[in-house]
Amino acid sequence: MSQRNGSKPKPPRRKPVRKFIRERIYLCLFLIVHAVFAVYMRVRRVVRALKDRMFALTYYHHHTPELIRRDVAKLSKIPRHLSVVVSYDPRGNGGVELERLLNHVGELSAWCASAGIETLSVYERTGILKTHIPTTHAHITSTLHTYFPPHTTPALSLRCPNHPSFSPPSTPPSPFSQTPNPRLTVILLSAEDGRDTIVDLTKTLTEMSQRGKLAPSDISTDLVDAEITESVMGEPDLVVCFGERMKLDGFPPWQIRLSEIFCSPDNSSGVGYQVFLRALHKFGKAQMRFGT
Amino acid sequence: MTSVKKWIAQSPPVEWVTQQARELLMGTLRQGPIPQHVAFVMDGNRRFARGNNMETIEGHNLGFEALVTTLEVCYKVGVRVVSVYAFSIENFKRSKYEVDALMDMAKVKIGQLAQYGELMQMYGVRFQFLGRREMLRPDVLEVIDRAIESTSKNGRAILNICAPYTSRDEITTAIRDTVIDYSKPVPPSFKRPFSENRIARNIRAQQLASGSDGPAENDSQFQPDGAPQTEAGASQAPDNTTNGRSDADSASVTSASHTSNTLRPSTTTSTTSPTTFPDPETITSATLTDYMFTAGMPPLDLFIRTSGVERLSDFMLWQCHENTEIVFVNSLWPEFGLARFLPVLLEWQWDQMTGNRGGKGRWNGRGLKVA
Repeated sequence: MSQRNGSKPKPPRRKPVRKFIRERIYLCLFLIVHAVFAVYMRVRRVVRALKDRMFALTYYHHHTPELIRRDVAKLSKIPRHLSVVVSYDPRGNGGVELERLLNHVGELSAWCASAGIETLSVYERTGILKTHIPTTHAHITSTLHTYFPPHTTPALSLRCPNHPSFSPPSTPPSPFSQTPNPRLTVILLSAEDGRDTIVDLTKTLTEMSQRGKLAPSDISTDLVDAEITESVMGEPDLVVCFGERMKLDGFPPWQIRLSEIFCSPDNSSGVGYQVFLRALHKFGKAQMRFGT
Repeated sequence: MTSVKKWIAQSPPVEWVTQQARELLMGTLRQGPIPQHVAFVMDGNRRFARGNNMETIEGHNLGFEALVTTLEVCYKVGVRVVSVYAFSIENFKRSKYEVDALMDMAKVKIGQLAQYGELMQMYGVRFQFLGRREMLRPDVLEVIDRAIESTSKNGRAILNICAPYTSRDEITTAIRDTVIDYSKPVPPSFKRPFSENRIARNIRAQQLASGSDGPAENDSQFQPDGAPQTEAGASQAPDNTTNGRSDADSASVTSASHTSNTLRPSTTTSTTSPTTFPDPETITSATLTDYMFTAGMPPLDLFIRTSGVERLSDFMLWQCHENTEIVFVNSLWPEFGLARFLPVLLEWQWDQMTGNRGGKGRWNGRGLKVA
């Protein structure tokens, strides 16, 4: 009895000291490892930023669709529908931030139109662009005009799910309308086109079910897919995150099922042409090299 | 050459040293933030087998070993939930021969996993199977149920085995279950013991006690009928309110506005149809999250896919599109282990400690601005 009493409390008394020392060692190591890792990350950032800069110098579009077309000519495939995830900082200087975002959207549209991508969807979490649809339309149009010579400017249609549609100012009838210009569809997305759309669909289905218009067993993946494709958009072929890390930031979940996702890690240049081109190269399973 | 290397690596002292080093590394990692929920897409078993001139089944076996190693690392550093993508529903659309082979393999693997019982007990891991169970063969289901049963008492960590699973199916199921639950009529028994009619009448009685006496007598005649409430209350409500309003009008202007305010809700609630449903407008994304297979689990922090294929392939779409760090690792799954996992974890920790905490753009201002 006394033996049991004597031996039982012993292990817990001996262990805490050991455990304490071990934890101290772990903590020290943790600090060392992360100090080294922080250095590594900084070096990596510098290296990648330099590489990025090199790419930017090697590949530049010079606002010329022909050059962009040449850059993507060797690719085995081009996405038909490209999605981009861009950021907008609502805490920043509103006007400047919006201007920056509009410039990005304009440039992206021009690159897509030049590369032969038919649909571009721009995801921006807060949906600031949706409140400036006419401005966005005007901005994209003017950017397209700086890239394309008159009469070959692609026809632009701007769409905005879950939003009263915007009818753009009528484009003057082109005298060369026999040769169909390439078309570009731009879709503006925000966080409400993701989960909220699925929630809205659930609400509608619930109402129908409550009124006896629908049996819950009728709800199938195909039905949901048809409704979501109809109200928002179909699946993009390629999603490019222009952030520093690969995070989808609330991008519509239903649609990214099989999309390829590209992110240039530690990307510090924001929406850059070289990132766009690298994404297309990755998608087309091609290697990008410095020089020709 | 490789056999010599292998022999050295497997010799007791070397093995002991590597084991100690692994322990040390995992203990070190544990000091920082740890992802609470990690998802793996174990891709590349077949390609690994092909590249190393092995049978496909050998590749799958090595893949399974990699899974056990990875699970041990995860639970040792403190991950609470690990989700692995075992089979897609799409796999079941292949030929019967292939599906049968997959089923056989599932049976063997799950049996093997259950054999690692001590590992599971040590970390308190509970098995969960997410997906369309009815698509599985009965004998496989039996093995699964046994595995679930044997770990059902564990509660510290969870291993989600997603088979046969697709995320779209999960979302659809969540929508359907929500619709079913919201289409059940709410029994009217949730009524509180206070009758609104009675309260209204009491208020009126109080007001009338200070006012004229005639209508108060008139009202007291109603009381015995109205007191048993329910159906009688519903039919009487409009009557009472009109009565009340005219009484109040006769009393004073200030109390008139007061009574009409208190009485209006009683008319609206008592005139609703007998079968009431929960309001669909109360459905939020949190509601749907609670109907997902992963309900109640911590949010997905880290999504890892091996073999360099950069897509989600219908896995954890609802869970990973918000703030999850998505990592595509270039190595094939059988090559995955602590050595490949370590950089991913370190980078996640580093991001948590630097970038995420102080808001998003903390690093943007540091000297590295290009273009």
